[in-house]
This record gives sequence, structure tokens and C-alpha cells, in this order.
Amino acid sequence: MATDTTHFEFDPGFTDDRLRVAWYAVLAVLLAVGGAAMILRITEGMASTNLTSTTPWGAWVAFYIYFVGLSAGAFLVSTLANVFGVEGMHRIDRDALFAAIISMVVALMFVWVDLGRMDRMYFPFIWRQLTSALSWEVHAYVAYIAVLVTELYFSMRIDLARVAERGSGLRARLSGLLTLGRRSTSEASRKTDRKWLTRAGIVGIPLAIFLVHGGTGILFAVSKARPYWNSGLFPVIFVVSAVLSGTALVMVLYVLRTKLLDDEPVDRGLLNRLAVLLAAFIIVDAALTGIEMLIAIASLHPHEVETWAIILFGEMSWSFWWFMVGMGWLFPLVMLSKREWRETPWLMVLAGLSVVIGIIAVRFNIVVPPQILPVMEGLPHGSYFPSLVEWVTSIGMIAVGLLLYTIGAELLPLTPLDRGDH
Amino acid sequence: MSSSNDDVQPGVPAVDTAAMDAMVETERADPREELAKTDHDTELGIAMAEDAKRVSRGETSAEAYWEKYDAAAEREFGDAYRETPNPSIESTDQTIDAGTADSLSCTVGSMESVACEIDAAESLEEAEDASAAQSVEGAGAQTETGERRWGMVIDLQKCVGCDSCTVACKAENRTPPGVSYNVVMEEEHGEFPNVSRTNVPRPCMQCEEPPCVQVCPVSATYKMDNGVVNIDYDRCIGCRYCMIACPYGARYFDFGENYDDEVEEAGEITSPEYGVDRGKREDGESPIGNVRKCSFCTHRLERGEEPACVETCVGDARNMGDLNDSDSDVAEMADSTRAFQLKESEGTDPNVYYLK
Repeated sequence: MATDTTHFEFDPGFTDDRLRVAWYAVLAVLLAVGGAAMILRITEGMASTNLTSTTPWGAWVAFYIYFVGLSAGAFLVSTLANVFGVEGMHRIDRDALFAAIISMVVALMFVWVDLGRMDRMYFPFIWRQLTSALSWEVHAYVAYIAVLVTELYFSMRIDLARVAERGSGLRARLSGLLTLGRRSTSEASRKTDRKWLTRAGIVGIPLAIFLVHGGTGILFAVSKARPYWNSGLFPVIFVVSAVLSGTALVMVLYVLRTKLLDDEPVDRGLLNRLAVLLAAFIIVDAALTGIEMLIAIASLHPHEVETWAIILFGEMSWSFWWFMVGMGWLFPLVMLSKREWRETPWLMVLAGLSVVIGIIAVRFNIVVPPQILPVMEGLPHGSYFPSLVEWVTSIGMIAVGLLLYTIGAELLPLTPLDRGDH
Repeated sequence: MSSSNDDVQPGVPAVDTAAMDAMVETERADPREELAKTDHDTELGIAMAEDAKRVSRGETSAEAYWEKYDAAAEREFGDAYRETPNPSIESTDQTIDAGTADSLSCTVGSMESVACEIDAAESLEEAEDASAAQSVEGAGAQTETGERRWGMVIDLQKCVGCDSCTVACKAENRTPPGVSYNVVMEEEHGEFPNVSRTNVPRPCMQCEEPPCVQVCPVSATYKMDNGVVNIDYDRCIGCRYCMIACPYGARYFDFGENYDDEVEEAGEITSPEYGVDRGKREDGESPIGNVRKCSFCTHRLERGEEPACVETCVGDARNMGDLNDSDSDVAEMADSTRAFQLKESEGTDPNVYYLK
């Protein structure tokens, strides 16, 4: 093993100090502005949003399901290595798990800020409702985060022990704490870790697919009052688009961290595998969305047809055509079409970011359109575009996620010390 | 004459009291003429009236009066005199002493106590009639649980679309801007000149199978035994899932806005919705940040009043009552062939019925 040599070096942070300062400065600005918006949100209450009683769910709900999806997707990518043993994926499994945890933290922040009574956020753990998907979801999220943390622990423990043993300073002390006392670096302990990693992953896969993200889809799909959501295919599309965005995120993080933090050459074979996976998910996602649309329109149900008309031709149709179809599907598909391009790191970053942003539009187009048309003829029509407070608090909460990820990437052995080729 | 022109007050017409007495005298019916219209003894009547005036002037006592006339009155009026309680006898505050009262041949006791006895006797008879009627009409057709299920029936033929229900509701429930428990949905059909218009008032449907209750993650909204869907503002976290689930758009989020610009001290009084008095409306206090909706004016129902919208309806289009009571007006109307519910296909089974 590479780390068993006499020379030990563990310095996972930015290789370029100027880049580090610039990045933290950007995050500081985003956090400050986001914090100011958050103060407005808390003092003015929900009146600071552009939500109405006709359109009660908006940007924060869209971002919430977006980050839940990102998390579920990233986690499922990590299981390719941990459970299914796909060749050469171990290098990214911790990164994927860590991103999945941060995404859940960000998702829960969005849920929290969206509550009319933020002070009552713990109530769902005191009072429950068996028939409420949301009540189940809240508990599924907690269980899911527990599985993710367990996974990350077993995946990273042996390297934490190595850093604690041979490293020095803050990182070594922190790593020592995070091993939870299991400091052995023997092959036997590694085997035990692998075994539990697989077991937790096997529990986590159905949890992530059916309860966490499928469940979030069910939350919408059970709303009979909104025919656009009320379809069996809906939770499936939720999961597929989640995996899509998660794969794209992991690909972007892999390239950026390898280049900017590890300063190593990108593994082109791995990049190509991720890119092919991404292309496959895009095709499945687009196809299922097409099926969903055809069924809806063929039903001739007025609410369904009109909702699709709003999506395709309404005042927000630009978000469907440019962001969802353009950035989410078409542009990345073109980028992913040639093997040469798939092995070019910066092009894949571009394609990945395009998908990550495109899926945001997917989430907005899930949440908002069925709340534009009134549930009954004679009630007022809705019209919604997020307010400045909604946008800036969203940016602030995303910045919190980026900050947490960066701190983790600077302190933890997210890239396996043996570079994943064991 | 006690009043003179000296103490004339500004704004008060100076009227001679003697002249006023004379006016009363001309209007007063002649006692002899009036009594002559009855079958009874005119002379006795005149004598009793004259002596009654002396009693009221304090020239003689009530005891002496009744001792003097008791025998004569019994002779004149017979059974009617004996059965009618003497108005000068009150059980708590007698105007004649107990000894005299006992010596009289008429019924002793207050009018009130006699009236109560009559009422009790009558209602007993009615109850017997009713149970007899029910056992005839449909034995076992309806199990009487004794539970009330509040329901509303709105006659669309009678609704003129004046929106006064909406206004009465806002006044009663003191709902803030953007929150309106009741709205009137107006639909126009046809093309000029063959146009018709339907006004559909929409309160909360108080569904028997409420989708809003089904989705609430903290059980803050629930169905009460009387059929009304309640919201516990102290538990609601404001997630708005119920608004997504409601097929009638009957739920509104309280964004904390006020009518302060329109009305002074607009938030000083709030309505005791669901029977809970929350004092004045204050920032950050429930129901701000909660989801709100029509409660069928539970606070009014509890004190025996109709909901504000029902009470105010100019066309008498709205009716309130117990749907579990098959004899009630609303139950009969809800059973009629004209009756329908909104979005029946949703399976929510509203307790608000409409008449076509």
C-alpha cells in the first residue's frame, strides 16, 4: 500500500493558497448576504415571500426536493462502489457520501425556512399522522442521514486512523476523534469496515430510493387535488432525476477536487464511466417525462392539459425549454456523445454543472405549475416568481452547504489515501 | 299645576300637563261601554276597578280588596276564576299576605310557576308524539347516536351573488387581508344575449373524508365529533401541505398582514375560533404563520347561533342544521333530488350541500 511507506503526507486542502482565500471570500460574501436575507425572512415572516394562498409552495420547496434528490443520487452513486463493487469507483465513494450528507443538511434547512412557524420545527417528532407522507418523510430523512453517516464512517475510518497515527496537528486530532476509538489499521479491521459498509449500504439503498426520494415524490403524488402530480409514474421520475443530478454532482466534485485540492491527474477511465452513466440517466429521465406528459395530455383531463399548457407555453415556459430541456438534457447529451469529450475533464465539469442547474428547473417545474391553475373555476389564478428574499436566502443556504463541504474536503481524507485502488 | 312656563327647558316642548291628561281622557275607552261588550256583570267590574284604583293609591289594602270581592268573583266567573292564578299572588314576593291568599277560592301560586307546569306538560306530550311518529316512520332506519353532524345546505336558486356572506364572515371571524373563509365563485355561461350566471358560495366543506386531515404531519388539523374540521393553531407548523391537498381551495395561509391602514386598531379584537379566545392579534403569535379556514363559526354554534354567513344571507339561501337528524330541514334538503356536493368524484363527502 502506498501509505505504508515511510513517507507520509496528508494535506487534502487547496494546493493554491490564493485560490483558497478567494473561495472563502466568495463564500463569506454569499453567507453575509444570505444571512441578511434570513433576518428579513424571520422578522417579516412569510410576507417576505411571493407566496400566496393560491400558490402556497414555491422556491424553498423546489430547492428542498432538489437537495433531497441530489443527496439520494449521490448516495446511490456511492453504492456502486460500496455495495455493487463496480470497478474503479472507490475513489469517489466518500466524496459522494459526504456530498449526500451535506445535501440533506441543506435540504432540511430549506424545509425549516419554509415553515410558517420556524419555532415549531421539532413538532413532527412529537405529534404524528400515520396517513401523512410528510410525517413519514421527516422520520425517513433522519434514518437516512444516520445511514449516510454510518457509511461514511466505515468507508473512511481506516484512513482516519492512519492520519491520527502518523499525521500531526488539527487534522490528526480531529481524525482521532472521528475514529470513535477504533484506531486499528490492520487488514482485518479493513475487512470488518468493508463488511459493515456493504450492510449499511444494503439498508440505505431501499431507504434512499423508496422512502427518501421516492417518498418525497409520493408526498406530491398523493395530492389528488392536483392531477398533475397525482400519477404513479411521478415518484419514479423523482428518483430517476435524483440519480441524474447526483451523478452529475459527483462527477463535477471529482474533477474539481482532484484538480484543485489533490492536484493530481484525473482518472479518465473513471470519468468516462461516470459520463456514460450520466448519459443513460438523462435518456431515462427525458423518456419517462415524455411518457408522463403523453399520458396526461391523452387523458384530456382539463386540469392536466392546462397545467401542461402552462409548462410548455405559459409565462414560465422559458424555464422548461431553456433550463430543463436545454441545460438538463440536450446540452449535456451533446457533451456526452463523444468518448473524446467524455474524457476531457473541463468539458465534463461543464456538462455536469449544466445538469445540476437544469435539474433545479425540473424541481421548479414540478412544484409551481399545478399551483397556478386554481383548484376550482371561479377561484383566483396564481402567479409566482420567487421574491428577492427567497432567492438570496436560498443562495445563503446553498453557501452554507458549500462551506461545510469545503471544510470537510480540507480536513478529512475524502480521497482514499491508497487512491482507491485496493 | 306643578309645571309652569317658568321652568321651560331649551329643546323641550312646553306642554301643559293638564292638557295632556285631558288628551289621555279623550282616548280612554268608556269603562261601561267596554264591560257591556262582555257577558259578565258590568256593575261588579266597575266596582272592582274603582276599588283597585284605591288599592294602588294606598287608600285600602290588597287583603281587604280580595276579601271583599273573592266570593263575588267566584260567583261571577265560576271555574275560570278558580283555575286562573291570582295575579296579586307571587310565590316569592306576595302582594297579599299568606293567610288571605290561603282563604281565597282561586288558584294560589305565581303566574310563572303555573306557566312552567303548562310547558312541561306540553313538551312531554310532544315528545311522546315524536317518538310515536318515529317508530312508525322508520323503525331501525337510523341509529340515533345522539351525535350531531353540522351541515350546511346552500340553495343556488336563492343565492343572488351579493357577497354579503363573505363580508359577514370577514366581520365575524376578523380574518386578515388575503384570508377569506368564504368566497362566492361566480360563473357566467353562454353568450350574449343568452347568458346565465351561477353564484357558488364556498365555505370550508367540512368533508367527512378530509384530505387536509390526511396529510397534516403533526395532526394539527382533525375532524371533531360534530363534523367540523378543526385546526389547532398552537400545533400547526405552517407547512401548508393541507392547502396543497384541499380540492376546494378553502384553506388560507395567514401571512401576518393587517387592516391597520384601513381600520384603526383593526387587530384589537379577534374571533374566538374553535372556541379559543386568543386576545388581540400580535406579530409572531398564532394564527399568524398558520393555515386558517372556515370553522362553520363553531364559536357561534356553541352558543346556539347560526354561522354569520347563514344569519346574514339576504335570500335565505344558506341553511344550517344537524345532518344526523333526519327530521331537520338540512337533512331533508340534502336528501332532495336537487342536492349535490362539490367535486363528488374526489370522495371527500362534503358536509356542505348545494341545491341546483
